[in-house]
Amino acid sequence: MAAVAAVQPYLKALNCEVMSISTDSVYAHKVFKETSPSLKKVNYPMVSDRTHGISRAYRVLDEKSGAAVRASVFIDPNGVIAAKLIYPGEVGRNLHEHVRILQGVQFAQQTGQGVPANWQPGQPGVIRDPNLIGKI
Amino acid sequence: MNGQSEAGFCAGRGDRAPIFIADAIIDSQIKKVNLENYKGKWVLLFFYPSDFTFV
Repeated sequence: MAAVAAVQPYLKALNCEVMSISTDSVYAHKVFKETSPSLKKVNYPMVSDRTHGISRAYRVLDEKSGAAVRASVFIDPNGVIAAKLIYPGEVGRNLHEHVRILQGVQFAQQTGQGVPANWQPGQPGVIRDPNLIGKI
Repeated sequence: MNGQSEAGFCAGRGDRAPIFIADAIIDSQIKKVNLENYKGKWVLLFFYPSDFTFV
């Protein structure tokens, strides 16, 4: 949660808001926020999906445990899902990669160029030209 | 939720994000959050299994 708060300024700069969602109650969320020192800087909404409706709608509910899986969903300004990452339950997210995905999607939209592996902002994209196929 | 409960829907890339209204903790207060109010902005949803664990 603190890791999310740490990249929030970068996401804000990309016109991106953040929410965390679990099937815990808002009361659990409140105590979690107030008792965990690492959550001090969290100011994004901590959403309670007590009915499981949100997790089920996004197809990230583990019916056996009644809990959401570790998943990240990117929604574009038109309300369309742009990316969805599912993580193993035992491995935490790479938040820098979340920022890079958003930067990459926005770069692709703005330039019409492809975004190659390990691309970072400031690096060139890939021009989509059929004449270049097999030459790069 | 929003008529998107059909079996083939898997909430993947290119699908309309299911709209929701739910209780949330914001600034230590219980408030309603409506995804619809976020139109015009990118939104990143972090689903996680349980409070008191890592994200």
